[in-house]
Amino acid sequence: MTSDPDRHPQDSRQDGPDPACDAAPVVLLVEDDGLLLMEAADTLAEAGFTVLEAPHADQALKVLESRPDVEVLMTDVDMPLGSMNGFALARLVSRRWPRIPVLVVSGMGSPGPHDMPPGARFIPKPYAPSALVRTLHDTVRRAA
Amino acid sequence: MVARDTDAERASSVETARQQAIREEIARLRALLHEARPPHEARTPTGEVDRAASPAEWEARLATAEDLNARLRASEAFTARLLAASRDSIQVLALDGTVQWLTEAGRLDAAAIGSTWAASWPEPGDRIAAEVALAAARAGRTGRFRAPSGPREAMRWWDVVVSPIQGPDGIPERLLAVARDVTEAHRAEEQQALLMQEMAHRLKNTLALVQAVAAQTLRSAPSLESAMDAFNGRLMALSDAHDVLIRGAWAEADLAAVVEGAMAPHIDAMDGRFAAAGPRVGLGPRSVLTLSLMLHELATNAAKYGALSSPTGRVAVTWALAGEAEAMLHLRWEESGGPPVVPPRRGGFGSRLIERSLVHSFGGRVSLRFPREGAVMDLEAPLAAMQDGTA
Repeated sequence: MTSDPDRHPQDSRQDGPDPACDAAPVVLLVEDDGLLLMEAADTLAEAGFTVLEAPHADQALKVLESRPDVEVLMTDVDMPLGSMNGFALARLVSRRWPRIPVLVVSGMGSPGPHDMPPGARFIPKPYAPSALVRTLHDTVRRAA
Repeated sequence: MVARDTDAERASSVETARQQAIREEIARLRALLHEARPPHEARTPTGEVDRAASPAEWEARLATAEDLNARLRASEAFTARLLAASRDSIQVLALDGTVQWLTEAGRLDAAAIGSTWAASWPEPGDRIAAEVALAAARAGRTGRFRAPSGPREAMRWWDVVVSPIQGPDGIPERLLAVARDVTEAHRAEEQQALLMQEMAHRLKNTLALVQAVAAQTLRSAPSLESAMDAFNGRLMALSDAHDVLIRGAWAEADLAAVVEGAMAPHIDAMDGRFAAAGPRVGLGPRSVLTLSLMLHELATNAAKYGALSSPTGRVAVTWALAGEAEAMLHLRWEESGGPPVVPPRRGGFGSRLIERSLVHSFGGRVSLRFPREGAVMDLEAPLAAMQDGTA
């Protein structure tokens, strides 16, 4: 029963109803807290998403480079282990992968004027799981 | 403002031009008086012939004039010392806002005289605030604002009050601007605002964490009752971890204190059956919370099914720093002497937390094994990641 840090990203694909798309939309979840990530991944998997996980921005970029099927990025802001925070990741992703919509979640109030890339959404922490699912479905639908 | 003789003596060195003129005039009059003969005919300062004045009367009048002059000098000297004693920057402005006079405590030097007072504030917004305060004072009211000035590295904050100086007719004649240095208070307020923001951030993160623990507990619990028990235990573990963190001002906690805090609720029943050993290692807030929850899950499991469920069982938590520059933390939980181990079902909160949380959050490795002698958990994580300052 050994966990291997190189096993990212982990798929937690689950079948579930999804009114927006035929296939389970692929979401990349970037969150440094293992417990919060575990809960968010469970919530999204139950809602019909295919969840890829990354603990920080650098790992998230590796996932994006290797998985062209990522349809939406959801990122935390404070991630001490990576080389950039969630806002910087969101801006970078919206430049490099303009077709991937971005959702930023954070416990630190609301974002500053230049934190978010254009079109990105923000949800403060803690959030209602149903609001998260609804927002992500909307985001994917709008991008499609 | 009544002058004293001592003031008059000390004031002589700072004689103003006016005082000097009066003194010289007295000396001139005295000389004239002595030259004038016959002494019965004298002239008043206005030129009228004052037949009544005798030399003795003239002397008396001059003495009175000298005394009055001394009092005036003392009074002016006292006013000057009063203004010099003030730590405030006091400026007198013309109605149009031009600086006419200022004290030395001011943030401007004498070159400021004749300059436009409102323009001396560096920030455009503060220049507007200064104009508004001037307008209020011109209208007979009091204007007030707070603004910074000075170079960035030595910036001072000022609480500025502008009020009218009324003429004899009660109409504002000039304006008085008094600026008090409130830099210390301003910094304290900024610091407090920052702390409040930081606290709000921590609180939100803590709520998010509690939400995740609650949801995960409900997901894996066989019944509502067991979910309640498990959730309360986990909440208490988080609360104990906070106590440990607060002792370290939320910056760093000693690993030994974290282990002790996590084990405390389970230690009563196992006098001498728990041992912890390892070097001093400081951990950051995030890893303290995660590790506390992990140890709580292991201890709870041990109390239900493992070494802590029998009187002969023991638990040892040991840790060491290893690798290059002692950059890796190794920690082991080892149970022994308990009932024969039956591996728990997979996918429960505890095992998922242990397998995923630490690996994910800190880039470490965890192995949780269940040999017959007792459960063993080995974790290995880069110390730098576990010492990070945020939570």
